[in-house]
Amino acid sequence: MNRDEAGKKISAAIRAHADYHAAPASLAADVMAALPVEEESPQRPRWQRWLAQGAAMAGVALVTWAATMGYLRPGEDERRADEILASHVGATLGKRLIQVASSDQHTVKPWLSARLAYSPPVADLSAQGFELLGARLDHIAGQPVAVLVYKRRQHLIDAYIRPARGDVKASESKRDGFNLSRFTAGEMDFWLVSDLNRNELDDLAHLLSALR
Amino acid sequence: MVLPHMDAAYNLARWLTRNDQDARDVVQEAALRAYRFLDGLRGDAKPWFLTLVRNACMSWLKANRPAELTSMDPLAPELQLIEEETPETLALRALDRRMLNEALAALPAQFREVLILRELEDLPYQDIARITGAPIGTVMSRLSRARRLLAESLRAITRASEVRQ
Repeated sequence: MNRDEAGKKISAAIRAHADYHAAPASLAADVMAALPVEEESPQRPRWQRWLAQGAAMAGVALVTWAATMGYLRPGEDERRADEILASHVGATLGKRLIQVASSDQHTVKPWLSARLAYSPPVADLSAQGFELLGARLDHIAGQPVAVLVYKRRQHLIDAYIRPARGDVKASESKRDGFNLSRFTAGEMDFWLVSDLNRNELDDLAHLLSALR
Repeated sequence: MVLPHMDAAYNLARWLTRNDQDARDVVQEAALRAYRFLDGLRGDAKPWFLTLVRNACMSWLKANRPAELTSMDPLAPELQLIEEETPETLALRALDRRMLNEALAALPAQFREVLILRELEDLPYQDIARITGAPIGTVMSRLSRARRLLAESLRAITRASEVRQ
């Protein structure tokens, strides 16, 4: 047996038999709890995080401008995607990921409706492999937006939902390693963002667009 | 940003510290550093975060298990390897899970870490080089050496257990 084969055999043995120590569920919670507490203002910490993001920084000035210019300007989808990605990244890192933690749509939906001028569709999709962890309010282009937070294995998926305005082109993109999907369904405009793979993100898009 | 990589971080920390509580502490510390130094992030978050975890592990080892790091000296790991690679020597068929895990845990830290990153996290050489701060060539030779060391130590364990029986 030559050395290559022996190496391959050992390699296969490790892959098959070595213990994989998955993080205990409480660890993520502890990590979150240890992060610095953010201020009450919903805007400032996100700005600070954007500044820290570097890559997302270019979007900051444009976002304010885009908000005043209204919707559907050329290139606006691009900036919106940047903004949503920055929001997603900031939320997964900080403490604001979930404001109402529940997989019960009858808890999450009223919570959102009470804080928004619209009522987004909400459903736990655990049976299809997308567990609803809860929801939060976020601000995109100065407007409050409902965000449903789903989990697939270790991946978090944020679904940003707001009323659709005008014509919306469905689109898919990949930025900084994150997949984004945009589509409309039932008068709502959806943005999905996650580090989940494209196929599974599309599955969730199909499930969500079937909701009413 | 770091939450999706919590398993990878914990797995690496657990294998390097060989202790649940210390692995938790090390990952916590690395996550806080990640939060504070987000502007250091370039490209993929996973190798970036694992670099922080690995460095936190190394500091922990230095403070708590300094003996384990003595073999990090490039000259030191001149362990005698038996070069006869006959099928008999690779007693992998008889290998049980416990033995493999024990042998892996007993490897010097520098070999253990490359095996964990390569075989359990399936990371490309380039990422492993970044995380361990070693050139790619070193990573590759360390990996093949780590596999040989592990095979050797499994052979030793198997022989020992045969003698006992």
